[in-house]
Amino acid sequence: MSNVIRVVEISKRFGDIIALDNISLNISSGEIVAVLGENGSGKSTLAKILYGLYTPDRGYIEVNGKQQVFLSPADAKKYGIVMVSQRPQLIDELTVLENISLFLNKPLNKIYNDINIFLQEFNIRINIASPIHTLSYTERQYIEMAKALLARPRLLIVDEATTYLPQSMKIKFFEMMKRIVATNGSIIFITHKIPEALEFSTRIIVLRRGRIVGEFDSNNISLDELRRVMFGETAIIQTTKQAQDIPIIKDAILKINNVLVEDEYGKKAVENVSLDVKQGEIVGVVGIAGNGQRELCETIIGLRKVKKGQILFEGRDITHIPPNKRIAIGLYYIPEDPFRDGVFLNLTVAENIKIFSQRKIERKAFQDIISKLNIIPANPGVKVHKLSGGNVQKVVLSRIFINIPKVIVAYNPTRMLDEYSSRLVASTLTKFASLGGSVLLFSEDLDEALAMGNRIAVMSRGKVIGIYNYTAINRSELEKVMVAYA
Amino acid sequence: MLKISIIKRELPLHIIIPLRITIAVIGLLISIVTASLIFNQDPGTTITFLVNSFLDLNIFRYISVFLPTALGLSIAYSAGLWNLGAEGQIVVGAMGATFIALFTPLGTIEYVGVIASLLFAFAMGAIWAIAAIVLKVYFGINEALTTLMMNYIAYYLVDYLVYGPWRGRGVYGYPETDMIPIQCRLQRVAGYSFSLYPLFTSLLLTILVFLFLYRTRIGISIRALSSSFRAVELSGISSTKLAILAFMLSGALAGFAGGTEVLVYHRKLVPGAKIGAGMGYTSIMVAWLSSLNPVAVPLSAYYVSSLYIFSLAIQIGSINVGDAIARAVIGTIFLLTIVSEFIARYRIILRFRG
Repeated sequence: MSNVIRVVEISKRFGDIIALDNISLNISSGEIVAVLGENGSGKSTLAKILYGLYTPDRGYIEVNGKQQVFLSPADAKKYGIVMVSQRPQLIDELTVLENISLFLNKPLNKIYNDINIFLQEFNIRINIASPIHTLSYTERQYIEMAKALLARPRLLIVDEATTYLPQSMKIKFFEMMKRIVATNGSIIFITHKIPEALEFSTRIIVLRRGRIVGEFDSNNISLDELRRVMFGETAIIQTTKQAQDIPIIKDAILKINNVLVEDEYGKKAVENVSLDVKQGEIVGVVGIAGNGQRELCETIIGLRKVKKGQILFEGRDITHIPPNKRIAIGLYYIPEDPFRDGVFLNLTVAENIKIFSQRKIERKAFQDIISKLNIIPANPGVKVHKLSGGNVQKVVLSRIFINIPKVIVAYNPTRMLDEYSSRLVASTLTKFASLGGSVLLFSEDLDEALAMGNRIAVMSRGKVIGIYNYTAINRSELEKVMVAYA
Repeated sequence: MLKISIIKRELPLHIIIPLRITIAVIGLLISIVTASLIFNQDPGTTITFLVNSFLDLNIFRYISVFLPTALGLSIAYSAGLWNLGAEGQIVVGAMGATFIALFTPLGTIEYVGVIASLLFAFAMGAIWAIAAIVLKVYFGINEALTTLMMNYIAYYLVDYLVYGPWRGRGVYGYPETDMIPIQCRLQRVAGYSFSLYPLFTSLLLTILVFLFLYRTRIGISIRALSSSFRAVELSGISSTKLAILAFMLSGALAGFAGGTEVLVYHRKLVPGAKIGAGMGYTSIMVAWLSSLNPVAVPLSAYYVSSLYIFSLAIQIGSINVGDAIARAVIGTIFLLTIVSEFIARYRIILRFRG
């Protein structure tokens, strides 16, 4: 196999943060290389350098024996390098079709059919004439994927993009990746999920604090060993146990009665949904992305108007009060799109936490929360836009640690988090419930919903089509229900 | 083929400041020398004029207006809200101060008259700004347009007053009010047309605005508004109230500047366009030159004021290039200042490809 791309002695720092320290890496054609590392280990920085989004401070990239430094993604694209990132890079105001056309640099009518065929193959129901801002985060991720695959890249960089795809879609995506590999392309697969790395890649590179700390053949390495290399000495928190199934006699703290919500075009996005969450209970809401979950949780938190129906919190009608008042009475939200709704990218970590905190917060508390959530770099004065996706999500989550919520509405709270951090979050939520708090957990990860939820509600086409006790249903049955009415 | 690419960089502050000053000075020299040569002037004389402008104490007369006004604007702009109405807010501030000084008994009481006039100037500026932001947050009407339009309303409102009901008895028919009572006038520095009291107050306000925007939760949230109203709302703070507050403070500070204009400079109310004199618009530039950092506003107010003096100096005396040319030269200088900011923030890479 020939070397397609060589990364030679690359270093990159942001101010006083060293993101990459002397990284060298060869990628041969026909290879799937997984780059594994915890949040903030430098994986995304490496991907962004390969894609021309960042220029390295030192080192270079070699393509076909020629030294290159990509100054922009357009540069990288000329050499057949394409990236699907964890944050969809799409223009909000343009339609799906226009976005893809811009990216591929092909006229709209020529690609119209290709896109529809592609979406059909993946069983994705998105109207390609709709503007991007009407899509959910996950739907945008699908478009991002379509865009990249339709470009038929020589090197595809997949930056955490598969994390929340349903298993069936993940497998299809993997097949697509294989197709690229079969035509002598190669893939860099960036992830913090060890099983994913083992499943999909041929070779695994482990990054920690900006350095390569291990390189393994995917067939000759165990999950435990990888975990040890990845996290170093960090102790892994024990897997969370199911919240105790004590008979819940208390009243529902959050009650949604027959709610009808319309989307931007006046179409019904949420229809006749009734749902309640009792004290000490975790209710999981699952469903294929784009079936009204985003609209429902935005309605509960007050970002969307209720057309019909009622939302009650502790018996009080909150249907028409603004989001900030809902938060003040203890209804917290972990947003669907962390970058847009969850943090202020132009402010520092400390300033973000200060805004989230409903009470006065002491200087020492910043450091506490940062070390508790293991935010890297552990510096409260760092601007949030410099953090990696996982660390941004940790900043979003800090709000439930520094405040005293009564109900938490969370949308994929562990998205983008590495194993250590997602267990911390999962255990925090379960503990919160065991102490009498309530959680409404919107999750695209069925295993997570099943592991944490006392009850699971399934959404399809804007309706709740079933509510199950967690003991009464398993993963494959849930998947069947999800697709049955879709 | 030549390839140019522009890459964002972050330099530490102790490099940025000298770098920007150096580039700005070099830019000044280049534009002055070029302009002098074009208009057949001795570059040496022009540069002397320039240096003198920067040392002229008359700059404080302009700093007294630019500093508080730009300080206020930096609050609104930090929130991502476009207050283009500082001009009008200055004018109504002046109107407010005149009202207290001339038409209420407070005006003849020492100290009380000054404080009451300025407080009312604050209030008038705030009210003028609130009108626009309320339209924005409740009806979605673009605040840039309404604030701009309200400048004209302010102008004509004051014009109506000075041509009509407020016209003074001893002004020989000129469109202006009588002089405000002596108790209400702020003492000028001998031989100049500025007073130290408003200057010190403005410096104090600079520190307060900085502490507010960078140390308090509400202030930090105002800065957060520029990234996302939704995210602010989801942090448990009313984005509506924040936007109104930011605009209110912004207008209040401009109103204060207008008030001091009456108490120190005019000592009466004159037609609107003479009070604002475009300084409200220039303050927009002062605010942006400081990169919206309150602590840098005094510096950029000083810089802009000096150039203001310079543009007046070259219109008269030995150079006498006239108003249009003076403005063109000043425009070039500002352009170069903005270029200096660009260079400080981005690295430009040139590459040759075969």
